Amino acid sequence: MNRSHLYLFCAVALLAGCKAQEPANQANAVIPSAETQNAATAAATLTPDQALAVAKEREEHMEAFGDATKKIGNELKASKPDVAAIQQSAAKIADLAPKLQSWFAPGTAEGVGKSRAKAEIWQKPEDFALKAHDFETAAQEFKVAADRGDLTQIKTTFEALGKSCKACHDLYRAPKKD
Amino acid sequence: MTSTAPPRRTDTATKQRVWDLPTRLFHWTLVVLVGLSWWSAENDQQDLHLYLGYGVLSLLLFRIGWGLAGSSTARFSSFVRGPGAVASYVRNRFHWPLAGHAPLGALSVLALLAMLFVIVGTGLFAADEDGLFSGPLAYLVSVGVSDTMTGLHEELFDILLVLIGLHVAAILLYRLALGRNLLGPMITGKAELEPGVEPMRAGKWWVALICLVAAIAITRWIIGGAPPLGT
Repeated sequence: MNRSHLYLFCAVALLAGCKAQEPANQANAVIPSAETQNAATAAATLTPDQALAVAKEREEHMEAFGDATKKIGNELKASKPDVAAIQQSAAKIADLAPKLQSWFAPGTAEGVGKSRAKAEIWQKPEDFALKAHDFETAAQEFKVAADRGDLTQIKTTFEALGKSCKACHDLYRAPKKD
Repeated sequence: MTSTAPPRRTDTATKQRVWDLPTRLFHWTLVVLVGLSWWSAENDQQDLHLYLGYGVLSLLLFRIGWGLAGSSTARFSSFVRGPGAVASYVRNRFHWPLAGHAPLGALSVLALLAMLFVIVGTGLFAADEDGLFSGPLAYLVSVGVSDTMTGLHEELFDILLVLIGLHVAAILLYRLALGRNLLGPMITGKAELEPGVEPMRAGKWWVALICLVAAIAITRWIIGGAPPLGT
C-alpha cells in the first residue's frame, strides 16, 4: 500500500466531504461538484495497487456502517434500548456519511479485488451523487433524533436511513461473491 | 385413468399405507419453502426470507413432535438405527421388506433434518450486511457473533444443497438401478409391501394438530425475541 497516494486521496476525500457538508438548500442542486470531478481526474490515474487499496478501504468503511446499523437495530429490539450506544453508532454514521462519495474513485469498480461497485456508478454520476446526498441527510437527521433520545423519532429516522442505504445498494451494488 | 395408463407390474389393490398425510404434507411444504427461501436470499427479498424461515422452523418443530408421537413410519424410533443396520442393508443388496425408511434413506432424512435445523438456527441470529434485517434472536448476541452466524447460515446452505442432491440422486438410482419407485409413495402415501409385512400404523389426527399448534406457538415465541431472554 502506497502511503503518500493514500494521503493524497484522503485530502481529496476531505474536500469532497466539505462540499457535501454544505447546507441542504445549496446542496439541492446535485451536480458532481468541481471537487468530485477533480477527484475523478486525480483518481483516474490510480495504479492497480492504489485501486485495490481504495476498494479495500471503501469496504472497511461500508462494514463500519453495517456494524453501526446492526448495533442500533439490536438496541431497538431490546426491551430497554441503550440510547447512549445508539448515539455512539449514530455519530459514527453521521461522521462517515459525508465522505461516502469520495470512496468511489473511478477505476475501483467490480473486478478490482472484492469490489462490488457497479460500473453504473460512474455512468450515472448525478443519480449516484443524489443518492449519496440523501443518505447523508438521513444520517444527519438520525443523529439529531438519537441525540434528542426520543425512541419513536429514532425508529422513524432509522427506518429512513435504512431506506437510503437500500436505494443505492439496490441499483449500484453487485451481489456478494462467494 | 387406468384405461389410458400403460400396463403396470404392480396391482394398486395390494398397495398399503406407508406414509401418512402429515408426513407427506411436511415433506412437500418443506420442499417449496426451502426452494423459495433460496430464491428470496438470492434476490434480496430479506423480509420474505425471514417469513419463509419461520415457516421452515415451524415445520421442523412439527416434525420433531410427529417423530415422537406420530404414525409408526414417521417415528424416529422406527428409523434411527446404528451403522450395523446400514452395513447389513448394503450387504443385502438394498433389500428392505418393512414399511418406512430403509437404513440409508433414514440417514438421509436425519442428515437433512439436522442440517435444516442448524441453518434455521444460525438464521435466527443472522443479520444482513446492511443491518436492515436480522433474525429474531440476533439482538441477544454481539454483532461479531451475529456476523459469524450469518457466514455459517450462508455456507452451510451449500452443504444442504449437496445433501438434497444426494437425496434426489438416490431416488433416481433406486428407480433406474433397482426398479423401485420411491417418489410415488411420498405423493400417494401408498406402496406395495410383501405379503405379511405390517403396514404403517397411523397416528392420531389430533396428535398431529397438537404438534402443529405447539410448533407454531414455539416459533411465535422465538419471533417475539424469545422473552424473557432479552429483558
